[in-house]
Amino acid sequence: MAEAGKLTIALPKGRIMRHCLGVLRQAGLNLELAGMERALRHDAGDASLIEMRNGDVPTYVELGVADAGIVGKDVLLESGSRLYEPVDLGFAVCRLSLIRLRGVRSDLRRVASKYPKLAARYLRDVGSSAEVVKLAGNVELACLTGLADAVVDIVETGGTLRANDLEEVDVILWSSARFVVNRAALKLKSDQLKPLISSLREVAQTVGR
Amino acid sequence: MIEVLPEGTRYELPGQASKRARVVDTLKTLYSSWGYLQVDVPVLERYHPHHPRLAQSFKLSDRDSGVLTLRSDFTPMLANLVRTNYPRVVTGEDPALRFQYAGKVWHAINPDMARTREFTQVGLELIGVSNARADAELIHLARESVRAVDLVPRVEIGNPGFVRALFQLAAVPKTLQEGLADAIDRKDQSTLVSLLGGLDLAPDLFSAFQATLDLYGDVGVLDAARRVAPWEETCRELDRLEGVLSEFEDNSDLLLDLGMARRLSYYTGVTFRAYTFDFGQPLLGGGRYDGALLPFAAGFAIGLERLMSALPEAGEPETPLVMSLDDVSARTLRAAGFSVMRALTTDVEEARRQAEAYGIAYLLAEQLEPLVSDPPQQEVLERLLEGDRG
Repeated sequence: MAEAGKLTIALPKGRIMRHCLGVLRQAGLNLELAGMERALRHDAGDASLIEMRNGDVPTYVELGVADAGIVGKDVLLESGSRLYEPVDLGFAVCRLSLIRLRGVRSDLRRVASKYPKLAARYLRDVGSSAEVVKLAGNVELACLTGLADAVVDIVETGGTLRANDLEEVDVILWSSARFVVNRAALKLKSDQLKPLISSLREVAQTVGR
Repeated sequence: MIEVLPEGTRYELPGQASKRARVVDTLKTLYSSWGYLQVDVPVLERYHPHHPRLAQSFKLSDRDSGVLTLRSDFTPMLANLVRTNYPRVVTGEDPALRFQYAGKVWHAINPDMARTREFTQVGLELIGVSNARADAELIHLARESVRAVDLVPRVEIGNPGFVRALFQLAAVPKTLQEGLADAIDRKDQSTLVSLLGGLDLAPDLFSAFQATLDLYGDVGVLDAARRVAPWEETCRELDRLEGVLSEFEDNSDLLLDLGMARRLSYYTGVTFRAYTFDFGQPLLGGGRYDGALLPFAAGFAIGLERLMSALPEAGEPETPLVMSLDDVSARTLRAAGFSVMRALTTDVEEARRQAEAYGIAYLLAEQLEPLVSDPPQQEVLERLLEGDRG
């Protein structure tokens, strides 16, 4: 927890960052970002914001470098971190699915994913002994090239799937953005976090769905 | 050749190791002053299918094809020690036992971020009694443990009995209990709501579950809990918590969290954790586990590595004050409490060179020779040596 008094919030960089800022502002935080183009760390009025890849958010929050953060449920589950997750912010909704070439239903032997832990857990639950290979991006390619006979990946609209003659065979879980909180911070900075959580819940109810 | 250490283990160099020993001594002294006796248990245990941390334990094969586990927690072994050696405490004929321990434990799988697999636990067990006074003593000592190492403690107390009472009122099926307890423990509102959705609960019970996620903070939380969960079963659990809090002269720095629902089937009474400011992880944890391993028992364990990382970095290890070529005088100085290194040469020049390399303040040969500017305790040392030689 970087600075006594002020909250430190970990946010995923990229498109979603603006959405996160919007939600936090609606919840009443005064966040002024000056020249945010290159900086990774912003002293933004009511909070310090740190910007990172979404997969790193659970780490920063679990170890208490950030008091709180915003991260997708998919990423949070993959990380295995046991954080407080008091608010489902209701945006960035997507599903994690098993995807195969259209019409293919052969036994699964190898599954590629950016989410190796969740993929392995799913395969165990459905009784498959397929191996999991971790890829860093564009996992659909694994199906198209024959690297794997299925992939486990995020589906938002399904456009990419249709364009590549792929189909969603099974929905593994639904995900959306969560407000996550460090276990010690919730208790030691509850005078700031408790009201923020309750405003965020209101914002999520009116805007998110 | 430099051997790579097994994953999750590490060396402890002199500065850190001596600091750590000081911290352990401080804690031991505190616990002894409250009448907690030191005990020790073996590192090797017989494989036991009901060990509470079996999944995390290292397994070893014994020579007669038996299986052993490496100690992963002190409590089960201490419970065994008590059952074997103090049966009359177990039955309540003899008064309660207070034990303290300090030692290493190993976890083959560690879900924590740091992935450490070799830890040191320092802890207490108060066995053979179950009442608010005993719980309060442990919570007080948890708080004092953090103070003893110069950190500011915040102890948070919960009672999983509260969540269990809600489960009972809602007739939550066994299959759902674990998932529901986990959602409550993580204050995960959306999972909680979707799990409760299948239960067809009365509206007041439904909102009591939801409110539990926000029942944390100072002692005022108890009144809020009585409002949202006014039933006999839940109030009994709140009374138990209130009973523990009333044991404290000043309970203003204690925190409550009625959503603490970790290891619901193990902990039966109050549970607690200690935090300190500007450190994101709990320093210690414990609680009452009546009936789990012994009829009546409660305790807590400090994760020493965690505690050490919340403390300021260790400085350089302490250098001896004197390098000596004179064994008789050295004995006098050591007896007076000074640390004196014996030169491994009889050559004064060589001894001086070595002393300077170590950064030692004095060379003691024919006489006491300062090697640094402004050497410490010179008068005291000279007086001691005069008495010796005169």
